[in-house]
Amino acid sequence: MSLLQVEQLSKVFGAIRAVDAVSFEVRPGEIYGLLGPNGAGKTTTISMISGLLKPDVGEVFVGGGSFWSDPQKAKHLMGVVPQELAIYEELTGQENLEFWGRMAGLSSRDARTRAKELLAALTLADRAKDAVKHYSGGMKRRINLGCALLHRPQMLLLDEPTVGIDPQARLNILEYIRNLRATGTAILYTTHYLEEAENLCQRIGIIDHGRLLAEGTLSELQDRLGGDRVFALEADFGDSAPDQWDGFLHRFRVIQKTEKQLVVAAIGARDPSECLKELLNLPVQVENVSLKRPSLNDVFLQLTGRELRE
Amino acid sequence: MLKLHVLLAKDLRRAWRNPLPWLINLIVPLAMTALIGLVFGGNSAGSALGRIRFAVVDEDKSVLSDFLRGAANQHRAGEHLEPVFLERTNALQLINENKISAVLIIETNFMRNYLSAKTPVRLQLIKNPAESINPAVLEELLGAVVTGLNALSRNFHSDFPEWQEVLEGKEDYHRVSVLIDRAGDKLKMLKKFVAPPLVGYTKEAPEANSDVQNANSRTNQDLAGSAATNRVTATSGGKTTAKSKNDDLHSTFTFLLLGMSGMFLLFLGQNAMTDLHRELRQRTLERYQTMRSQLWPFLLGKIIFSVVILLICSAVLLGGGGLVFQIQWQNPAALLALVVGYCLFIAALFAVLVALMPDERRAGVLNNVAGMGLGLVGGCAFPARQLPEFLREHITPLMPSNWFVESARSLQFDDAYAGWGMALFKLALCAGFLMAVAALLLRQKFRSGLHV
Repeated sequence: MSLLQVEQLSKVFGAIRAVDAVSFEVRPGEIYGLLGPNGAGKTTTISMISGLLKPDVGEVFVGGGSFWSDPQKAKHLMGVVPQELAIYEELTGQENLEFWGRMAGLSSRDARTRAKELLAALTLADRAKDAVKHYSGGMKRRINLGCALLHRPQMLLLDEPTVGIDPQARLNILEYIRNLRATGTAILYTTHYLEEAENLCQRIGIIDHGRLLAEGTLSELQDRLGGDRVFALEADFGDSAPDQWDGFLHRFRVIQKTEKQLVVAAIGARDPSECLKELLNLPVQVENVSLKRPSLNDVFLQLTGRELRE
Repeated sequence: MLKLHVLLAKDLRRAWRNPLPWLINLIVPLAMTALIGLVFGGNSAGSALGRIRFAVVDEDKSVLSDFLRGAANQHRAGEHLEPVFLERTNALQLINENKISAVLIIETNFMRNYLSAKTPVRLQLIKNPAESINPAVLEELLGAVVTGLNALSRNFHSDFPEWQEVLEGKEDYHRVSVLIDRAGDKLKMLKKFVAPPLVGYTKEAPEANSDVQNANSRTNQDLAGSAATNRVTATSGGKTTAKSKNDDLHSTFTFLLLGMSGMFLLFLGQNAMTDLHRELRQRTLERYQTMRSQLWPFLLGKIIFSVVILLICSAVLLGGGGLVFQIQWQNPAALLALVVGYCLFIAALFAVLVALMPDERRAGVLNNVAGMGLGLVGGCAFPARQLPEFLREHITPLMPSNWFVESARSLQFDDAYAGWGMALFKLALCAGFLMAVAALLLRQKFRSGLHV
């Protein structure tokens, strides 16, 4: 049974349809990645799931019950880590954790005990008494994460929790999130980093312009391209169009075409060497051909016609 | 219910860790209070403005000018005035060097022309342009002297030629007794016009159930009236006590201090409530909402925090100001209750403005206009009776700042004033209403996407 179920969630701001009929679910012990560029609708989706925004259409179910039928109960099941550092810089790390623990409903003693546990787990115990304003960016991110974990939520909503920190600090946070998943916590993780989604998430939903374009495991998404390989051809394609090449579109799916590059995937289970031979016989002067496993970027490219990094 | 003390403790701890913004807020009213205390002489009993140093240039050198010179530093005048007698050039030199407040010039033939009444006479006062208060006081005093001389001229004009001859040593001295005798008879006839004085003042007992505005107008009359009594008493008997002078002085300071506090608390409240802007900007309020369904406890906590800050500022303003001006608060418990009510109102008002305009930079203009408007129209900066009639009659009585400042003044000046309870009730009611509006507005803003 899923811990979080989102059904046909939609939100409109004036003329902008920020989220359009988004549906997915997150199961216990699973990290579900919501991958998309900035402005795709990830934060708006998380805001609706956490009750900050009321959806225009759609429903959110948390732990089997509708969010809006008992928001306080639903909020108690969740921990939300916002993209911004929503912490008090004047307070120490321990004071921040204790305060948010009290807000989450813990007693003074429980909040203190739990804060100490988290400080140790986040490797911040030696800086517990320092004001947060003296912390590094990575340490602040860890405290920001810890503030959502005081009440041991069954589900964690993480909105781009590694933005703007160095690679080492990012690895620490990702490792901690993997450990949380191992304890059975369901995690909704939004990101625009392909590597994070590929390496961290069990299932990934690709979102752009408010619409969930595809979802599944990494291999399921790769299969959408027609197998586990894509061919990248470098040539001067100029005005030549693949649909004019004899039967080409019956044998290959075009992922991207520019003046200098053509990225294609073979349709059906075919021998790569046979595919390579066909590609070299195309009516253009091919300068180079490379064969690679399709990445999430290729999937995104095929779905949206542009790269995620653009 | 969520523990408000946790929210309050968090805000106070943050304020304690970063005290500079709050200290600046406290220093401004403290500095203003000290400045006013310094300007008006603070607690220097009986000589609040100090002695006024000025020069007298006697170019007439007559008996009458001697009399005027003598009057300038004799008896009670000597307590307040410090005349120096110089030649015109030296006197003007001193004024240029900013060592005296003014120069009084008694021109040649002053006595002769005054007694003969053939040519208009004049006393010339040259004021030091670098000073404002002391020259103005001297001008008023000189005006009183001129009025007296005019009155003398009107009543004794027929005797003046003979007096002139006496004073110039031409008249038979045996006639002096006749002139004095005649003057005595005239004074006897004038007695009923001089004592008791034509202008009188009677203090009315205030009605116990009067409302705030009536108490206000009475208080203002009291202030003006008590000053009038002093003038008349001083003229007729010259027995004004130092105590009554100090009382008047303290009344003025108390009046000013309460108004100034009403004004400053508005600006301090605006600063205190910027903490809610910070919570919005740093997304901590958003994080709070991911944990709790109800927004009002957070808002109430922030309002209580603002009230605590405002009460500390009030203690500095009213307590510190009271010490500087030696004000004895007549009903401190009622005043404290009024201050609490007013602080609640201010905090709730600015919470509404934050909810209306969550953008901190844009909100600054709105907050300033609201604070300034409430202070001015509410009668904090100026006495309400000096405002334009439309404002005074229709708008000012509706201003919560007016409820506070006039009730606080009435508490101080009117022993029987009992309207403060109603003022407190209205302030509390207004604060409660504004709190509810702020919570609703903020909730609505969040639901419609405050940060999107």
